[in-house]
Amino acid sequence: MSHLTKTNEAFWWSLFSAGGVMAALFLPVMIFVTGFVLPFMMGEDVESQRDRMVSLVTFWPVRIALFGIIFLSSFHCAHRIRHVLMDFGLRWAGVALMICCYGAAAAGAVAAGLILVRL
Amino acid sequence: MPEQTITLDVFRYRPDEDERSTIQSYDVPYYEHWVILDALNWIKDHVDGTLSFRWSCRMGVCGSCGMMINGDPKLTCAAFLKDYFPRAIRVEPLVNFPVERDLVIVMDDFMSKLTSVKPWLIRDDTRPMEEELLQSPSQLAAYKQFSMCINCLLCYAACPELDGDPDFLGPAAIALAHRYNLDSRDQGTAERQDILGAEEGVWGCALVGECTAVCPKNVDPAGAIQQAKVAVTKDWYKRLLLPWGKR
Repeated sequence: MSHLTKTNEAFWWSLFSAGGVMAALFLPVMIFVTGFVLPFMMGEDVESQRDRMVSLVTFWPVRIALFGIIFLSSFHCAHRIRHVLMDFGLRWAGVALMICCYGAAAAGAVAAGLILVRL
Repeated sequence: MPEQTITLDVFRYRPDEDERSTIQSYDVPYYEHWVILDALNWIKDHVDGTLSFRWSCRMGVCGSCGMMINGDPKLTCAAFLKDYFPRAIRVEPLVNFPVERDLVIVMDDFMSKLTSVKPWLIRDDTRPMEEELLQSPSQLAAYKQFSMCINCLLCYAACPELDGDPDFLGPAAIALAHRYNLDSRDQGTAERQDILGAEEGVWGCALVGECTAVCPKNVDPAGAIQQAKVAVTKDWYKRLLLPWGKR
């Protein structure tokens, strides 16, 4: 090998890897529990359903867990999209592609964080 | 000669005579027990002595006879005619490599990649050579699977990442680097980490998994690359958080 290019890909891959666990294991469970199980258990009164869900989400450990799941899943998604685009021939876009993909993930995570804090 | 024959459409390129490659068809006797390598040798012995291809052991050990068979990378000594009969078989050199002549590929780039990962035991002590380096069965089991690689290069032909990025170190070289990193007798992990952790190293892999699918020795190069990614990532964080520490 004549030349080697140093990279911080290990950092992005670690987020991708952790996000993969979140997206594969925790995200479906969270959707199932908050989308189906809890609403069915809470009865038909929509107002009280909403209040109880808000009180659940505003419990700090739940906020942190939700943020972790959303943050890591977003970076998992961004990393995969970046590599798919590279395989589609955008390898030359390099840093610009990273800024677009990871920037979108970071923006999504920040927005999710703000919503979770303000609830 | 049996009554039945099978057609082999063979890639031909003779740089001293041909401007471009051509496909030449040969009708070859069909025997159920023949592999494609037998058919190629029959062509060379009875029809066209100029046909060039690599082969040696005829038993899936030497890794010399890898070719594209109907577009799939295979060892021709393990690909039976009966699996394709009666349709014609297209035989071409492994893709992702330059062609030297006919079915012979140029391996220089792979050899350079392979040696760059130092696929041998590295020791930093001065223990006499006569002294044995003992290993437990579990220490052997840690790397044994990855030591079965025969450098047949089917994984390089199958890898779509190499098609887009020829500088990528590739499955076999990374699997062998990882094999030595896992060996309890080896002390050269740090020497291999710079190349494994480079953009051309493990990060060129997007885990398509075709290398593992075509490996005739069940080495699982894709698994080795994933394990190497974890090791490289740990090393990266260690260097970030403990820049003064010993790697």
